[in-house]
Amino acid sequence: MRNVYTVEQINSYIKNMFRQDFLLSSLTVKGEISNCKYHSSGHIYFTLKDASGAISCVMFRGHAATGLKFKMQEGQQVQVTGSVDIYERDGKYQLYATKIELDGAGALFERFEKLKKELAERGMFAQEYKQEIPKHIKTLGVVTAPTGAAVRDIINISTRRNPYVQIYLYPAIVQGDQAKDSIVRGISTLTDMNVDVIIVGRGGGSIEDLWAFNEEEVAEAIFNCPIPIISAVGHETDWTIADFVADLRAPTPSAAAELAVYEIGLLLQDIDAYADILYRRMNEKIERLRDKAASDKRLLEHLSPAAKIRDQRMRAAQSAERLERLITDIIREKRHLLDVDIERLKALSPLDKLQSGFSYVSDEKGKNIRSIKAVSAGDKLEINVSDGVIGAEVVEVKKRSYK
Amino acid sequence: MAKKSEEKELTIEEAFSAVDEKIKELEKSDVSLEDSFKLFKEGMDLLKHCNDSIDKVEKKVQKVMADGQTEDFE
Repeated sequence: MRNVYTVEQINSYIKNMFRQDFLLSSLTVKGEISNCKYHSSGHIYFTLKDASGAISCVMFRGHAATGLKFKMQEGQQVQVTGSVDIYERDGKYQLYATKIELDGAGALFERFEKLKKELAERGMFAQEYKQEIPKHIKTLGVVTAPTGAAVRDIINISTRRNPYVQIYLYPAIVQGDQAKDSIVRGISTLTDMNVDVIIVGRGGGSIEDLWAFNEEEVAEAIFNCPIPIISAVGHETDWTIADFVADLRAPTPSAAAELAVYEIGLLLQDIDAYADILYRRMNEKIERLRDKAASDKRLLEHLSPAAKIRDQRMRAAQSAERLERLITDIIREKRHLLDVDIERLKALSPLDKLQSGFSYVSDEKGKNIRSIKAVSAGDKLEINVSDGVIGAEVVEVKKRSYK
Repeated sequence: MAKKSEEKELTIEEAFSAVDEKIKELEKSDVSLEDSFKLFKEGMDLLKHCNDSIDKVEKKVQKVMADGQTEDFE
């Protein structure tokens, strides 16, 4: 015969089995909420279901205070953490919840898209509202957690680029419930301090970790801030509402520091380069004017009366020289002609002829006698010889022919 | 996002673009020597302004407290 058990016995047996099961004592179940009842006692009763079935759940008041951060609604996708145990009175098993969270990514993404659309429609992402990030700042405000890589990166890069920029760090809570208020306070505190630029951000994390930067209050604080704000949330691939509304979005906190803080070395180089150009232009100007003065001087010298006089004197000297040369030539030529004539005359001289035995006969009047017809007997004649004159008288005239 | 009230002091960028203008003027050939010296001096004064406007003291990061007071960060 078989044993017969009481209900109590069998329920307690099953309960014992459940209690000894490692998995059932601590697990997380995901599903959709239905039949949710907030009881006046503070306990919450609901059913978690999916396409295949359902499981009853209960969250006691004590756990609801710490493990539930939102108002549960029908149809929400949630993850419920707790244990599965037997409720002996009804003879059924239940999930005893200690923590309930909206099913992460899905729900958050939905909220993100909704707020993004809403703010975009309000014009909060419009380019026309973006303020320019000043190029040469003196003070930098930083709203981020005082510990962790983000603040280190921002401080290291800023001070390396320009140690003269004063950094004001507002140590914000960047994760969890208090994050959005803390970030908003940070922005307003640094605004009151009138810093030149504000970086708002944090290091990488899950979408839940970064969530504060998707809150409307934070977006509004950034939008309304009179000081240019650079957002720097998480990694390059993380986009938050804060990134859309900020005046400039930096992919990382390090990049934000590079965008906000100029390199002092480059600025000093620029100043030197400008001074160089000014000096060079000025020297060129002076050089140009000096050149012009020199060429003007040459021009003036050329046009001065002294030059004219010198020119004329030169011309006069050249003319004189030329004249002298001409007259010398003429004299030389004349003298030559004279020599020629002398020779010619010499050849014609009667004295030479007289010397060689010829004589010159003239009548008393000195007229040369060339023919017998010029004389008759008894005429007085003069016969010129080489050393004197002989007086003579014509005795006879006889004709003779030499032909 | 709301714009900050305009400051009267010349920013470094403004000073640089002003120097650019002076240089452009200086490069014109019909500027008198006297005007050139004036432009040169104005340019150098602007650069001096840039240089002077850089506060060359290394700063310690300041942590802003809840009450608005600040203290050295580490």
